[in-house]
Amino acid sequence: MARALSSFRPVFVAGVGLHPYRKYSPTPYVALGLAAVREALTDAGARWGDIESAYVASALLGMAPGRPMLRHLGASGLSITHVENASASGSSAFRLAALEVASGQSDLVVAIGVDKPAMVELGARQAVLDLLERDRVSAFTHFALLAQRYADAYGATPEDFARVAAKNLANGARNPYAQRREPRSVADIVAAAPLAGFLTSPQSCPVGEGAAAAILASEDGLKRLQFERKRTVRVLSSASRSERLYDDEGGFDAALTEETVRDALADAGVSPGALDVVELHDAFSVEELLYTERMGLCDPGDAPRRLKAGHFDIGGEVAVSASGGLIAMGHPLGPTGLGQIAEITRQLRGEAEGRQHPDAKTGLAHMVGLGAVCVAHVLQRDAE
Amino acid sequence: MGARIEHPTLYGEGAAGPALYGARCAACGRVSFPRQSFGCEGCGAYGEAMAPVELAARGTLLSFAFVRKHMGADIAAPFAIGEIRLDDGPVIRCTLADALDERALHAGQRVSGVLAHNPKSGADVLELRFAPEGR
Repeated sequence: MARALSSFRPVFVAGVGLHPYRKYSPTPYVALGLAAVREALTDAGARWGDIESAYVASALLGMAPGRPMLRHLGASGLSITHVENASASGSSAFRLAALEVASGQSDLVVAIGVDKPAMVELGARQAVLDLLERDRVSAFTHFALLAQRYADAYGATPEDFARVAAKNLANGARNPYAQRREPRSVADIVAAAPLAGFLTSPQSCPVGEGAAAAILASEDGLKRLQFERKRTVRVLSSASRSERLYDDEGGFDAALTEETVRDALADAGVSPGALDVVELHDAFSVEELLYTERMGLCDPGDAPRRLKAGHFDIGGEVAVSASGGLIAMGHPLGPTGLGQIAEITRQLRGEAEGRQHPDAKTGLAHMVGLGAVCVAHVLQRDAE
Repeated sequence: MGARIEHPTLYGEGAAGPALYGARCAACGRVSFPRQSFGCEGCGAYGEAMAPVELAARGTLLSFAFVRKHMGADIAAPFAIGEIRLDDGPVIRCTLADALDERALHAGQRVSGVLAHNPKSGADVLELRFAPEGR
C-alpha cells in the first residue's frame, strides 16, 4: 500500500442507522433502505441535502437499485455509486466512502447497504470453468471441512463449535436489529438439524432482508453538522485484499483474514490486544474460532478455551460479535458490513443499549466475501 | 465398457487407473486443476504455456465432511466429501465412495479414485469417487 488512510485527512463516522434484519417480507427494498438512511441522518443531525455522495451496496437486487430508492429523500443530484463485492459489499461501500472523504473530494458521504433474498447467478458460474463437485460442496460443507481440520489439529469438540453460536445468539437476543433473537443452549445447538460434519443449522447464518447506513464526515463536515465531539468515532484504517496462493489451499479464508487484518491493524497503529470490540464474518461457527486466532486475539488452538472462559463475551477481554454477528444478527449481504460499522460505532460511543461492552475505545470490523475477498476497518473513539 | 463419464472434461480412464485432467504451467511449473488455458494462477502465463497433463487420482486425505442436507437431485444425503491433496500437487474436493464408515476416515489417510456408477444420473453413468486405499 503506497499510502495508508491515516496519511490523508481524518475521517469520522457521524451517523449510523439500520432497518432490522429479518426473514423475507413483501416490503419493498426501498422502504428498508430509506429507514436505515433516515435513522443515520437523524443520528448525525444531518439533512439529506448535506450529503454529497452515496455508495449503495447490494449483492442481490440487480442493476442500479440506488436512485430509485434515494430519490425519495429528495432528488439532490448527489453522486451515486453502486458497490457489489459479495458478502463484503457493505464493507467495500464504507471503504470507498471513507476514501472519498479522506481524499478531500467530499465532506459528507453516506454508505448504504440494502438487500432482499433472491437467487442470482454467481460470476464464477459464468467463468466457463467446470469444477468438480461444485453443487455438492455448499458453503456449509466448505466450512465443515475446515471444522474437521480444526478438530483434528486441536481436539475441538462439537460443543466447542456450538458455543460460538450460543454466545452470538445470546448477544443477538439483546439486539433489537437482530434477525435471531432467541438464545439457545450449547446442547440444544449440538442436537439441532445437521448440515454437514460438526455444523448444525443454528451454526449457520440466516440470509434475510434488511438495511444499514453510515454517514462519513471530514472535520469540516462535522463542523457543518455541529456534531457533538464526544460522540465522534474515527476511521483509523481501511484494508482490502483478495485471495492469493497459500501453502494451505483449503484454508484460504483464515490466511486471507490474517493478512488483511494485519494490514488494518498496522495502518491504525493498534495491536490486537488493544481491541475492545470485534465484529467478524461468522457466517459459520468455525469461522469465529479460526479468525479470532488468526487476527491475533489469542494463540492458535486457544479460541475454544477463551470462548468457554467468557473472554469473547460482552464484558469479557474483547467482545466478539456483540451485535450477535452474522449467526444471530443475520447476513442480508449488502447491509452486513455496514451493520458491523453501526454496531461498533454504537459500542464506541457507549450507546449500545442492553449490550454495551464496558469502556469500548477501539473496534475492528471484518468481512470475507465470496471470491475470496476480505475487507477490514479499525475504528476508534475520538481521543478528545 | 460403454458407460458414459459424468464430467468428461474433468476426468476419465487413464493409462493406470482414473486420471484428472489438469495443466502444468511451462513458465513456473505450477500444476493446477481443472485444465484451463486462461492463465496460470501462479505467474500469469497463458495459452499454450498451460500444457495439458493427466493427474493420477491418488493422494492424501486432508479433511472430510458427511453432508446431511442436500438440495440437488444428483445424489442423496448423507454422502461424504473429501478434501484431497493429489500426489501430483493440486488440492481437490471430491465425493467419497458410498457407505464409508465415518470412524474409519482420518486426515493423512491414503486415498485413490475409482470410476463408480451413479444410479441417480443413470445406471450407465460413471463418476469419480475417492476411497481409502486397500479398503
